[in-house]
Amino acid sequence: MFATKRLGKELLKMKEHLPPGITIAKSENLEEWHMDLQVLDDNPLYQDQTYRLKFTFGSKYPIEPPEVQFIESPNTPSTPRPIPIHPHIYSNGIICLDLLSSAGWSPVQTVESVCVSIQSMLTANTRNERPPGDSDFVSYNRRRPRDINFFYDDDNV
Amino acid sequence: MDPPNDNEVVDLRSLDYVSRYDDHLMCAICHCPFIRPIRLQCDHVFCQKCLNTAITSFAGFRDDFTCPSCRTPTKGVYLNVPRLLINMCDDIRVKCPFAVEGCEEVMPRGHVQSHVDKYCNYRLVDCPNDQCGNKTRKMDLHPEKCMHALHTCQHCGDDIMEKDYEEHVQESCPSLETTCPDCQTTVLQQEFEEHVKACPEMNHPCAASKFGCPVKVTRSELAAHEQGCPLVMMGPYLDAQNSRLGSLESTVRHLQQRNEIYEDGLSNIRSTLFESSRGIPERDPNLPQESLNEGRLSGAPEQPENDQWIDLPNVYSTNANTYLLSLHESLREEVGQLSRAITDLDARASMAIMNECLRIKEDMAHTNAAVSSIRMQVQWLMNPRLHQAQRMAGARNSNNGNGNTHDGDDTATAGPSNAAGPSPGLLRPRRLSDGGREGTKL
Repeated sequence: MFATKRLGKELLKMKEHLPPGITIAKSENLEEWHMDLQVLDDNPLYQDQTYRLKFTFGSKYPIEPPEVQFIESPNTPSTPRPIPIHPHIYSNGIICLDLLSSAGWSPVQTVESVCVSIQSMLTANTRNERPPGDSDFVSYNRRRPRDINFFYDDDNV
Repeated sequence: MDPPNDNEVVDLRSLDYVSRYDDHLMCAICHCPFIRPIRLQCDHVFCQKCLNTAITSFAGFRDDFTCPSCRTPTKGVYLNVPRLLINMCDDIRVKCPFAVEGCEEVMPRGHVQSHVDKYCNYRLVDCPNDQCGNKTRKMDLHPEKCMHALHTCQHCGDDIMEKDYEEHVQESCPSLETTCPDCQTTVLQQEFEEHVKACPEMNHPCAASKFGCPVKVTRSELAAHEQGCPLVMMGPYLDAQNSRLGSLESTVRHLQQRNEIYEDGLSNIRSTLFESSRGIPERDPNLPQESLNEGRLSGAPEQPENDQWIDLPNVYSTNANTYLLSLHESLREEVGQLSRAITDLDARASMAIMNECLRIKEDMAHTNAAVSSIRMQVQWLMNPRLHQAQRMAGARNSNNGNGNTHDGDDTATAGPSNAAGPSPGLLRPRRLSDGGREGTKL
């Protein structure tokens, strides 16, 4: 109830106005939204690409953080949705960002503010690499993002 | 009424906010206008309930809880939020929470609770029957009777709640029947309209009823009748006639209008004529000479008619006067045209003159300016020469006084210069030419 009310209000507001580079891709229900993200400056790593974020909301949103990760589908030739390369984004789309953990989350965050944070995280990146141990993590991880204990060691993002 | 009902608290977060509200009045957690706001040490404001949920679900120690907005550690929670803020939040207009039930009230949020408690007739209250778990609108509530007991409709066999029973029996029961007035069969009320369209017994008028066929028979017999009905056969022809009549009528109306206009004009002319014809016979006996003169003046055809005037005033006078009047009219028109032309010409001429005048004036001003500038230059040029001449004249005067005359050319001019020696202003014109000549000589 709390979550749906709040999400309804957020959606209304986002349909009125969104920051540049961010668009709503799917918001039919109040449990899972897809947002399209573009990096607007001329960072060669992300130029002319569109990435898709999947938000999964629990019933305790916004007290508890939503699950946010990059997804590849729908990955048709006309709408390619790759996983952006970034030292804190695993190739399966999972994002290591303290903002999205329950410790770093704050209930005043919104879908819009999360999108803006991730957008700026991409903008600021210059390293064309995946996180260390990416292939191991991707092949062995079966946990959901919120159950993973990340160590947030990089203060530069 | 039931005491627990009266204490029912309206959930202000789930209200439908009608007016737009400022984002600053919005709790950052629930995105609603603040509900019972409280303030943290860092001056960030949240709803009490939102902050409580945030604190209870906070993972770390309670003392480590930080402000959700700015992450400042919060030592204390203050309840004294500015009254202004609370008032502004309570002033936002909302719909009654029972808008779904039909309440159309829109009120400031601060009044919702009292509206629901006391005034809203659409509020759902518990049924007086303890066993019944249903709710009833306050306006429908019977003090002692449960409106939710099921009654079985005698006609359709459905179980209907008492509150809906009356409406069901009278209107919506699917088994309600009516009798068709034409074919006397009974049909279900729901299907009656369809039946009317298809009823074979219903009396339909003949297709030629507008042309006067009085026959009105059932649909099955109608086809047979229409095949033999003479009026139906004549139908197309009658239709064509009707349209022709219509067009003729419109033409006649048009002509009538034109005729009226002409008649008006004619009566105008007649009345003016009558006035003038009354004027002339009055004069006639007194001054026959004048009438003759008038006739002669206005042209030859008038002469005989004027003579007959007295005998047949009606017929001829009308003709003559018409002619006279038309002549007069045309003359007047001509005069009018002439006067218009004259005024036009006058205006044009005066315009032209004015333009010329302006140009000439301008030219004159130019010339004046040129002349004055030339004069200035000449004066400037002449000034030194004038002084020289004066000096020379003074010298010559002294020479003349000595009785020494040697320059014949100068003596002719020296005479007057001597006379006007003390006043150089009078001397100037002569001196100018002299000086010029002397200049060229030199």
